[in-house]
Amino acid sequence: MILLGPLGVALAVFVAAIGAALFVRLSGDLPRRPVPTTPERTPFAGGETPAVHAWNRYHARYYVMALVFLAFDMEMVFMYPWAVVFVREGGIAFVEMGMFITVLLLGVLYAWRERAFNWA
Amino acid sequence: MARAGLQLGLKQALGRVAAGAPVPVFAVAGQGAREHVQDLRLDGRLRLVDSPGAAMVLLIAGGLPDGLAEPLAHLHDSLPHPRATLWWPLGAGPATWPQQFVPTIETRDGVSETLQAIQRELLRGQRPGEPPILPDEDPVPWKGVGPYGQGGTGMTGGTPYGRPMAELGADRDGLRLDVLPLRIGPFFPRFPPGLTLDLKLAGDVIVDVAPVESPFAGAPPVGVCRAGARIFVDALSQPVPVAGLELARAREHLRWLADALVAVELGSLGSRVLRLAAELRTSDGDSIRTLGRALRRTQAIGWATNGVGRIPAAAVEGLGAGPIARAAGLPEDERTHDPAYSGLGFEPIVQRDGDAAARWRQRLGEAAQSLELAARAGDRRTVPTGSVESPRGRLDGEGNATARFLHLLPGVLQGLEWGDAVTTLVSLDLDFEEAVFAETARAGAVAS
Amino acid sequence: MRDYASPGVAIVAVGAILVAGVYVLAVLDRLLGMIVAGTSIRLGALLAEPVQSGALLVLQERRTTERPDAAGWALAPALFGGLAAVALAMVPLDRDIVAADPATGFVVFSAAIAMVMIAIYLHGWSPNSAFALHGAYRYGAQALSFQIPFLLAMLATALPAESLSIVDIVDAQKSVWNVVREPAGLPLYLVVGVAVSFWGPLNLPDAADLAGGTVVEDSGLDRLLWKGARAAMLVAVAAMGAAVFLGGWWGPWLPGPAWVVLKTVALLVVLLASGHLLARVRIEQFVFVSWVLLIPLALLNVFVSGALLL
Repeated sequence: MILLGPLGVALAVFVAAIGAALFVRLSGDLPRRPVPTTPERTPFAGGETPAVHAWNRYHARYYVMALVFLAFDMEMVFMYPWAVVFVREGGIAFVEMGMFITVLLLGVLYAWRERAFNWA
Repeated sequence: MARAGLQLGLKQALGRVAAGAPVPVFAVAGQGAREHVQDLRLDGRLRLVDSPGAAMVLLIAGGLPDGLAEPLAHLHDSLPHPRATLWWPLGAGPATWPQQFVPTIETRDGVSETLQAIQRELLRGQRPGEPPILPDEDPVPWKGVGPYGQGGTGMTGGTPYGRPMAELGADRDGLRLDVLPLRIGPFFPRFPPGLTLDLKLAGDVIVDVAPVESPFAGAPPVGVCRAGARIFVDALSQPVPVAGLELARAREHLRWLADALVAVELGSLGSRVLRLAAELRTSDGDSIRTLGRALRRTQAIGWATNGVGRIPAAAVEGLGAGPIARAAGLPEDERTHDPAYSGLGFEPIVQRDGDAAARWRQRLGEAAQSLELAARAGDRRTVPTGSVESPRGRLDGEGNATARFLHLLPGVLQGLEWGDAVTTLVSLDLDFEEAVFAETARAGAVAS
Repeated sequence: MRDYASPGVAIVAVGAILVAGVYVLAVLDRLLGMIVAGTSIRLGALLAEPVQSGALLVLQERRTTERPDAAGWALAPALFGGLAAVALAMVPLDRDIVAADPATGFVVFSAAIAMVMIAIYLHGWSPNSAFALHGAYRYGAQALSFQIPFLLAMLATALPAESLSIVDIVDAQKSVWNVVREPAGLPLYLVVGVAVSFWGPLNLPDAADLAGGTVVEDSGLDRLLWKGARAAMLVAVAAMGAAVFLGGWWGPWLPGPAWVVLKTVALLVVLLASGHLLARVRIEQFVFVSWVLLIPLALLNVFVSGALLL
């Protein structure tokens, strides 16, 4: 971990926090308790029992927005290094990213017109 | 051995600390209990929670008809160990529930203290947690292939864990995805007590909805009429003071508001409103107007409600739907026919939009108006005409606005996202209890 | 080579700060709630309540549901807490007091924020319960909408520093804080900060209309860990906001770490107050506003603050 430097430390913190949370949860299960009965395991629906399992092929109606997000997520990847060299590169970096963003924003306008951000 | 001792010691130490925590209570409000349960929100010694999983004690308040025994048993069994149940009769008859339920406490202060005592005993191991009520049986016989139902045809190829999976259904998007059938209620915290809905959900949108007949409806009352509705039921058969009636109306609207605020995640503001409702006087008109401004600022009347659950005037015309109709622009109000109100300058307030925001504004406006009327009414008394304008609309021996409105509910809720559907339902202020007692009052009048 | 503490020290320090932060947050939230509700405040009860309620949840047994995804259920709060810890580890208390300061600290932080969606989806999916599942999918829409404005709002602070290291970003604010340099940045960051840890008006996955959403089936330690992780994430968001917008350790009279703590608490108060003063937003509305208003505004913020630097 030391070899990885600060990233290694970050990783160590991540793993330790997950480990600690899992440990706390597991130690809470000691001593072992009797298995809960079926009615005790009913998912909550205001006192009624469900007719089917809750897991289903869920209609995530925001799927068009999710596609638009993909385009912007790629843009973010470019913007990280861009932010670092921006002051050094000056105007040219400004114009280049400006063009890229303009195209994306036009995409947002189109998506808006096509009601991609409304579903209910 | 030493480890077990350490565990026990740790448990006892934690128990001592935890005993002072606010008691997490899942409260079921039966007949005669709505205000009492609501007022528990003002008590720092306990905390009303939204799901049984979050609770330690199940509080059953008021009278519940027999039809609710099974859902109540399911609710009871859903509480995590250690758990306890408390019955708070509030004038209702002897409990019809299984004998596990602990007996009565009478007063309000008594309830909080008893709840605290129960929690302390549970956490210190002095009281055993209640065992489950229902038998340990699978809901549907096992029909699957393999331990998870895998290996057959279809999505999972069987009936995994004794329950089928949701099936495909057509959708307005032209896609075929699963439609989840779901029955919600009667103890869903955002629904009025007794409302159960049969829903079909495609994603987060309701594609089909049907109200299940309320166990309250058609059954004789099993408790006393709650204090807030009492005066309106009484006004059906006898003259009551106009000032008292109008003050009760303002109070009912504020109590609705307190619940509605909890539904939009503004519980602490809701507590403030609840305190105002409990101590409401005819001179509090300014407080209500200040409240209205605050609600616009919080966007409770704004982005949370604007354009949600629009009900056009044509749909509710002639139903006597009270604030719902007036929020849509219909000046329907029984008070216009009551001679006791002539000369008081009464003119129904109306809104135009008919959406949830309009209904919020409508109730706030009516609450302020009621206080003005109460101040002007002096010792006038109403004239019984067989129908009364209750805070929910026309109340007569046939029932109340909720009973008449219920068949419109599917049309209002269909196609709404779940959150919007709840906002709409809350804004309708349905009440099954009022109708039960109005019918009894009529029966009583016929008998005498 | 960038600065970092030894892993053992970092783990203990971040853990301690996280637990302390969650406690302070719980007290502050309750205090704000009491002020809004107009109840009288008893200091002793106020300070004891988070500990008492926490102990109660430790003693309560965990619930389970019919055929849940047990492994996912256990992992979700742990993952959420782990992400909050990583996010917090990136925040420097002073120029040379930092758990880890990788050259890409900014990227590590945003990666943690992005992965929160996985933890919440997992948490909603696992119990096989309708309300929890709805909460999970709702957060999907919410997360896809807030991530871009979140990153853009923060990215503008990397321009003057010419670096993605958080220490460098704070260091570059010696003369003028980023909140002055780019006035739109902090409000944007706070709006999406509330969305990240789904607090108050943007508590959509665990909302009251879903009777608790993804957390509806949880009891005992499950509930404690989930609520704790969620609070920890809000603390991390506030601490990062204090670092990249409010100049971190820079400030007169007091030592650097004291300033970081003060600024973090100030931002926490703002974030928590939103929960008591603003109504729940409709999910569709939030998606719309994010894309049509917040993203263009955040881009404008980046370009205007960039142009001013040239």
